[in-house]
Amino acid sequence: MHEITSRPVATCGFDDVRRVDGFENISAAYPAYLTDESKFSCRPFDHLFFPRSEAELSAVMEEMARRGIKITIAGARTGLVGGCVPNQGALVSLENFDRVLALYHDAPAAEWRLKAQCAVNLRSIAAQLSAKNLPDIERCADGMTLLEMDRFRREPPYFYPPDPTEMSASLGGTVATNASGARTFRYGPTRAWVRGLRVMLVNGEFLDIPRGRYFASPSGEFVVSDSAGRDYRVKIPTYPSPRTKNTSGIFTAPHMDLIDLFIGSEGAFGVITEVTVGLLPRRPKISIVQFLQSDEQAIALVQALRAESRIRLDLLESYSGSALDLLRERQRRDARSVGTPPIPETAGAALFFELDFDPADKTVTMDALDAVVRGGGASLSDSWSAYENRELERLKGFRHILPETINAVIAERKKKHPGLHKLGTDLAVPDERLRDIWAVYREGLAGAGLEWAAFGHIGNNHVHINILPRDMADLEKALGLYQMFAEKAVEFGGTVSAEHGIGKLKAKFLKTMFSPEAIAEMRAVKKALDPNLLLNPGNIFEG
Amino acid sequence: MQIAVCVKQVPEITNVRVNPETGTLIREGVASILNPFCEYALDHAVRLKNGDPGIEVVAVSMGPPQAESALLRCLELGADRAVLVSDRQFAGADTWATALTLAAVLRKEVPGYDLVLAGKQAIDGDTAQVGPEIAEILGLPQVMYAVEMSFTPNRKRIRVKREVESGHEVLEARLPALVSASKGDAMRRMPSLADVLAARRKELRKITAADLDLSESELGLAGSYTQVVKVFPPEPKSGGRKLEGLDPAQAAHEIAAFLRAERYV
Repeated sequence: MHEITSRPVATCGFDDVRRVDGFENISAAYPAYLTDESKFSCRPFDHLFFPRSEAELSAVMEEMARRGIKITIAGARTGLVGGCVPNQGALVSLENFDRVLALYHDAPAAEWRLKAQCAVNLRSIAAQLSAKNLPDIERCADGMTLLEMDRFRREPPYFYPPDPTEMSASLGGTVATNASGARTFRYGPTRAWVRGLRVMLVNGEFLDIPRGRYFASPSGEFVVSDSAGRDYRVKIPTYPSPRTKNTSGIFTAPHMDLIDLFIGSEGAFGVITEVTVGLLPRRPKISIVQFLQSDEQAIALVQALRAESRIRLDLLESYSGSALDLLRERQRRDARSVGTPPIPETAGAALFFELDFDPADKTVTMDALDAVVRGGGASLSDSWSAYENRELERLKGFRHILPETINAVIAERKKKHPGLHKLGTDLAVPDERLRDIWAVYREGLAGAGLEWAAFGHIGNNHVHINILPRDMADLEKALGLYQMFAEKAVEFGGTVSAEHGIGKLKAKFLKTMFSPEAIAEMRAVKKALDPNLLLNPGNIFEG
Repeated sequence: MQIAVCVKQVPEITNVRVNPETGTLIREGVASILNPFCEYALDHAVRLKNGDPGIEVVAVSMGPPQAESALLRCLELGADRAVLVSDRQFAGADTWATALTLAAVLRKEVPGYDLVLAGKQAIDGDTAQVGPEIAEILGLPQVMYAVEMSFTPNRKRIRVKREVESGHEVLEARLPALVSASKGDAMRRMPSLADVLAARRKELRKITAADLDLSESELGLAGSYTQVVKVFPPEPKSGGRKLEGLDPAQAAHEIAAFLRAERYV
């Protein structure tokens, strides 16, 4: 079925919606709403709305549409590309959509599912599932739902697999950006876990989209009808999607599911207000930092680990030798600052991985892992491992401490060169091009004489190269290098943005990856669902 | 040469909540860990062993069967073998009954001990009594709150740097001796995956009360001189009084008047 009808909601008066008018008032009282984690600066805008219900949101959408005012949507404002940073018109914060709505077992799929409003954050979901304590449901639910809760409590523990580093991100935001995390290596990005969406279109009406019900017609079309009988015809783009983790541009595939058009669309087509996600049983894990002699040895080991089918890793991440040097320097200044024992002096790179582990199993040997690591010229003795909660947290802290360390270095240099900022890439390539892209990075950075550190999702060939410019001349060189890296990644069949999205900051990179015809196809989808281009102006499409 | 390290499994109290009605700890869902001070003690043992591979490090614990996981961690961190003494008869043991039991385990399972190490206290009970009591029972010299230790060149004595209120002092004790460990500059180790796997092949002996040379009247509640009558959280501290917006002379007057009124001076 490729036809779907949007439904109106009971509306309320526009004047009932809590709001702040005037840019001066907004910037004085609500400065946090002027930017996101990218620190990208907004342009002046006139209204800030805090709707508390679908009725209020619908009233805002209708009124803004009537007045022709453009709307930017904000979730938890944790994005890295300025997606929720307004450049005109109105900003609508969805922070009051913060209730967990349901937890149920879907019998046909044999899967536990959680349904929540868009502003519930990932940390809260993780904590509620872990404690099996969901107060929103218990407060408001009927008898059937409470029975389902009882059943859930008797089950083994469950978790929601996507784990973006920023756990204060809102669920809706992570769906709008198809967010990824370390565990994407095993479990895929957010897209793989979304089972249903409720989306408000720019006309103020709703679509309820379960996964698996609405597919593009053989001619590649969706038809959305509104309650007044108007049809919006959407022709899905025809360009091929990269074979990598990807958040650049609009998802497309032959016979695609309508739900996938909205996931990762950065708010271009509608406002996600409710999300249903799938859960998985949580098994105990052991987390390992494997120290290696060089970045090249790390890449070879990544390829060997991926090739060994007996090893199932949840995540596969890396620190380059230069990243370890930065942390060693930090440890030299303050031994406790990194929260771990000293990083071994001989280590010239590190891989992080996590796999199933039962601490009580006395017969565990991990022969396959041992063989692969030894085959790569390394030893399991040169590692740190953790399986107790507090120790897992300690290693997770170690995995996440590098960006903070880099930010501190940049902040120090900014005192001398105020215009300075770090430059972090978000490029990914297919498996077989990992070694090639690494060679491009290495030669480019060495040739330019820049200071850099690399970390991130090497298992997905998605390493963030962070350049630390020492002055404005360095920054200039770095920007040129980034463009060259992006072009190479695309040439290798990869993407210009694997997880951060395009937003406003990376709109120019879209042209590196997509032909003018492909971008025109994306614009046509936008135009079909949002004819007056009112929603999230500037995201994905420049200008 | 043998070093025995007495360890305890404790709840991971960083995220423990208190039941507001009963005032007791909510233990449900709280993980159990090796008491951090015991881990520092073990760390000293492993350092001493690094200087002399001939030393055998034996971790010893009294606790329920699940305390095995704390001993597994000791084996991962470098202990050569471990002994768990576990029995229903130990239930309700106070510090004295615990010390008596552990001393009996040491006599039986590590009879050649040259040094006994312990954490300065457990983070759940916080009594800091079991270590000193073991020393008394075994007739050993004791040094508490150690942050560094090394054998003297003739290996007849242990030299210990320990924390005192005014700073540090360095003491020497003849061996065998009992030393308890404080935190100092210690950074908890991270075992390698090879260590974790090897630990599961090391000896972890489980014994019961029947294996010890003690009478029933010396065990658990029966052998205890003290009993916990009630556990309750301390009164939350109030914020105190803060003087603001005064010049220093005025503030000094106010403070002096307060101290006089309350008879502090």
